[in-house]
Amino acid sequence: MSLPERYRPKVIVTKIGLDGHDRGSRIVATMLRDSGMEVVYTPPWQSISDVVRLAEEEDADIIGISSLATDHLLIPDLLEALRKSDLEHIGVIVGGIIPEEDENELLELGVSRVFHPGSALKEISSYVRTLAIEVRTKSLRKWESQNHEKC
Amino acid sequence: MKNAEVVDLRQDTPEDLWKQEYRHQLPEEKPIHNRSGIEIKPLYTPADWDDSRYDEKLGYPGQLPMTRGIYSTMHRGRVWSQRQLIGFGTPEDYNRRLRKLLDAGNTAISLIPCNSVYRGYDIDEVDPKLLGTCGVMVNTVDDMDRCFRDVDIKSLSTAMNDPLPFTLLALLLAVARRRGVDWIHVSGTSNQSDYISHYVANHMFFRLSLDGSRRVLVDHIAFCQEHVPNWNPLSIVGQHMQQAGATPAEAMAFTLATGIQYAEDCIARGMDPNKFLERFTFFFDISMSFFEEIAKCRAGRRIWQNIVRERFGAQNPKVWRFKFHGQTSGVDLTRQEPLNNIARVTVQAMAGVFTGLQSLHTDSYDEVLSAPTEEAARIAVATQNIIREEAHCSDVIDPLAGSYYVESLTDQMEEKILSIVAKIDDAGGMFKAVEKGMIQNWIGHSAMKFQESIESGQQTIVGVNKYTLDDESLSAKPLERPSATKVHNQLDTLKKYKANRNRSDYNRAISRLQQAAQDETQNVYGAIVEAICGGVTHGEVVHQIRQELGFGQPQTTI
Amino acid sequence: MIHTARTGNQTSAKSVLEKLHAGGRKSLARAITIVENNLEGRKEILKAISENIGNAHVIGVTGPPGVGKSTLIDACIPEIRKLGRTVAVLAVDPSSHISGGAILGDRVRMAQHGQDDGVFIRSVAARGHLGGLSTTALNIINLFDATVWNTIIVETVGTGQSEIEISELADTIIVVESPGRGDEIQAIKAGMLEIADIVVVNKSDMPDADSTLSDLRQAIALRHASKSPLLLKTIASSGEGISELIDSVHQIGDEQDHSNRLNSKLGRMHKLVARNLGEAVEQELLNSDDEAISQLIRRIFIGEIDTDRIAQEIKSYVGRFSDFPSE
Repeated sequence: MSLPERYRPKVIVTKIGLDGHDRGSRIVATMLRDSGMEVVYTPPWQSISDVVRLAEEEDADIIGISSLATDHLLIPDLLEALRKSDLEHIGVIVGGIIPEEDENELLELGVSRVFHPGSALKEISSYVRTLAIEVRTKSLRKWESQNHEKC
Repeated sequence: MKNAEVVDLRQDTPEDLWKQEYRHQLPEEKPIHNRSGIEIKPLYTPADWDDSRYDEKLGYPGQLPMTRGIYSTMHRGRVWSQRQLIGFGTPEDYNRRLRKLLDAGNTAISLIPCNSVYRGYDIDEVDPKLLGTCGVMVNTVDDMDRCFRDVDIKSLSTAMNDPLPFTLLALLLAVARRRGVDWIHVSGTSNQSDYISHYVANHMFFRLSLDGSRRVLVDHIAFCQEHVPNWNPLSIVGQHMQQAGATPAEAMAFTLATGIQYAEDCIARGMDPNKFLERFTFFFDISMSFFEEIAKCRAGRRIWQNIVRERFGAQNPKVWRFKFHGQTSGVDLTRQEPLNNIARVTVQAMAGVFTGLQSLHTDSYDEVLSAPTEEAARIAVATQNIIREEAHCSDVIDPLAGSYYVESLTDQMEEKILSIVAKIDDAGGMFKAVEKGMIQNWIGHSAMKFQESIESGQQTIVGVNKYTLDDESLSAKPLERPSATKVHNQLDTLKKYKANRNRSDYNRAISRLQQAAQDETQNVYGAIVEAICGGVTHGEVVHQIRQELGFGQPQTTI
Repeated sequence: MIHTARTGNQTSAKSVLEKLHAGGRKSLARAITIVENNLEGRKEILKAISENIGNAHVIGVTGPPGVGKSTLIDACIPEIRKLGRTVAVLAVDPSSHISGGAILGDRVRMAQHGQDDGVFIRSVAARGHLGGLSTTALNIINLFDATVWNTIIVETVGTGQSEIEISELADTIIVVESPGRGDEIQAIKAGMLEIADIVVVNKSDMPDADSTLSDLRQAIALRHASKSPLLLKTIASSGEGISELIDSVHQIGDEQDHSNRLNSKLGRMHKLVARNLGEAVEQELLNSDDEAISQLIRRIFIGEIDTDRIAQEIKSYVGRFSDFPSE
């Protein structure tokens, strides 16, 4: 199974927790749109269950979380909730201000990558596109094999 | 066609010669623009600005048109306030830090609440993991009392980050009443009171619907004018807009237009501009664009006195003063080689001092890595002291005045700012422009443009897109977190506080609050203060007001 | 007719459908992705669902940007849920003409149903390929229809032809307006009143709501059409007028039973196919640099053949559609 050449990644750009500084998430959402992706953009303060529901209904490839204060402390819970909902195939990336030791923990727990302030938008978009295609290809393959088993 | 017969008898002036030489040496030079889009020439001369316009354009400090400063003595008479932002953990933690600052001779202090408070919740409504990491957990009169334990409220000027409906001020007033301190002696500023800037540029503080906010703010201003006359009920924040991506000229224009809107709303309520405008204060971002920031603030001062006199007919010279606080720009700081940020903050703070601001906050170099550490905060304060007392940057009032460049740029910024204000006027004023999404689009567009200029290398950011080092050694310290026990105890304290209240008093307070919110002839802020004095918590007040006046839904369009 | 042509093996279609049911929300979400992106498995899914459509009531909601369509839908959902019906929403957002990307922002304005299992919201980007949007939207509507969804709401921005086409896929069409848009209101008078069953003036607490209402009333009266749309007022943010709107929607919906819904669905599909093919031919003629076309134009120019003759040729091809090979 291969994806059509013009496959448009579907990316959720969101903020969980209490912080409301959304310049970063807005710029990233705009940039991803401008590089041809389809972006579900949410305002800040989403709950974890909101994000899981969104990812499920939209069948997203990537969830991008922006965190500038300390909301990244909730990301482990989000990863756990995705796993419980059988959505662990979705790629999770994080952008913003993340202390180094917390970053290492997030990467160990399954976050694909953490982007820091000053990251080039081009680098973010090419990373997201590659990851999205990888995620989609893998999950479609799994879906197909599951469906064939049931037949 | 060149005619060899005609000989130009004019001699080249020195200026002509310079121009020729310049073009000869830099034939291909591309024009340079500042962040606001004004072209910056390589040289400014009396052709750009000359002293014949001194009285009209500059005047003397404390006199019209206020370009050179709002007081006659400026920083010689009174050093700008240096406020350190404090707020972390429990009320006891806050109190400890506050007393340390007071012992060191500070009188201008601040109170930064926990993010849960910003969002309008009591601490028992959110995930405990997030509590106390960014600010102090304060929900009840008891909490506020503990924040100020053994501290004389009368001796302080407190800047509180306290978005609408201003529950923290209500808590402070309740503490004052409990201690028998007359509200006349309570002084400070309601920071984060500018809901328009929250709606368009920083959702962090946006709590109530636009219409609800509009009413609460005017009630708050009216209440303070009558009962807490030494309190600044309003700080109009250009900083949010600029941090969100507006250019300096846009940020100044949006702020002025917001000020006009709030003033008109107060006048519509029958208030006297000669009085209430005295308590309007402003808050600006000071970015790395050194001369542009200085020109921005000087132009702003000149424009505001004119607006106040021409539009509102204010006769009281005190209200012609454009009082503002400056903060160095957090978005200009980099994660790469974070110590470079000390140099950045120094340049920004110097620009701030040269603008003639009334108070200044310098950012900590490490705040792009995580919440600022105490050491970094100390360096930030020392930076201000070095600028003032070692470098003597504030010995002379408005020291850059008369510079061909600075004066010409101030004029150009003024013109640019006025043209934006005119567009907002055409749209029916700031409130309407915001409802239409006009300002948000503007900011989004400028943010994107600036980001592109960084990515194309047109705008250098040292260590990010130029002069980068391979070896990225970070000195990031782990996040400071209050211990789980402390958080647990604080939650326990809140639980007891809520349980020990008299149920019927509580119900009465809530229903009075509802009534006041539903009746536009009542001052809803007065009712909020009474509810808080009667034991209602911060989160309960915000919840009730949101139910009555509408939840602040953030903007979702991009 | 699409649902009988080459249906193939009934059991396999049934099992695809059963799996769709068994897999719940995740399967439905994935099936939409497959249909939308033309991924492997699309044909099987479309075939399977074609057996089971025409049960749901499809409501189209359209209107200019900024009139509060999403907020209106958000307010309608609980009212429909109260009737014991499940609700699926398809929110169509415009794609950028330059990059082809899109910001899918409508659904976040319908956030209050987060944990209600009787609600499913999905966003799609218009993507702008010719006629493709309507076909995709129709397929997704059918997917909802064939699974557990009783009421399907399709939201589009009513600015372009394709958006109007999508709302034509609905059984009941609501056109939303709001006061204070001045002359822009002309746009709605022109195109959208033609398709509306109900015209809603949202944000009707705004100062010039009454003049907007009377403008619209006048425009409707001037139309001399056999059936006039109903004119209603709402304030979506406070819930005012919502239950009246839902009552009216269902009154209209009740007049349509299952068989005439299916028939009208097929009728609309017929129109859609005709229009898409027509546009495709037009685009081909306009954009092709094939020498044969310039030859043809020259021959028409000198009177050697006329366009009727060519049209005859194309028409004769329609008769051969039944032998059209599968993809």
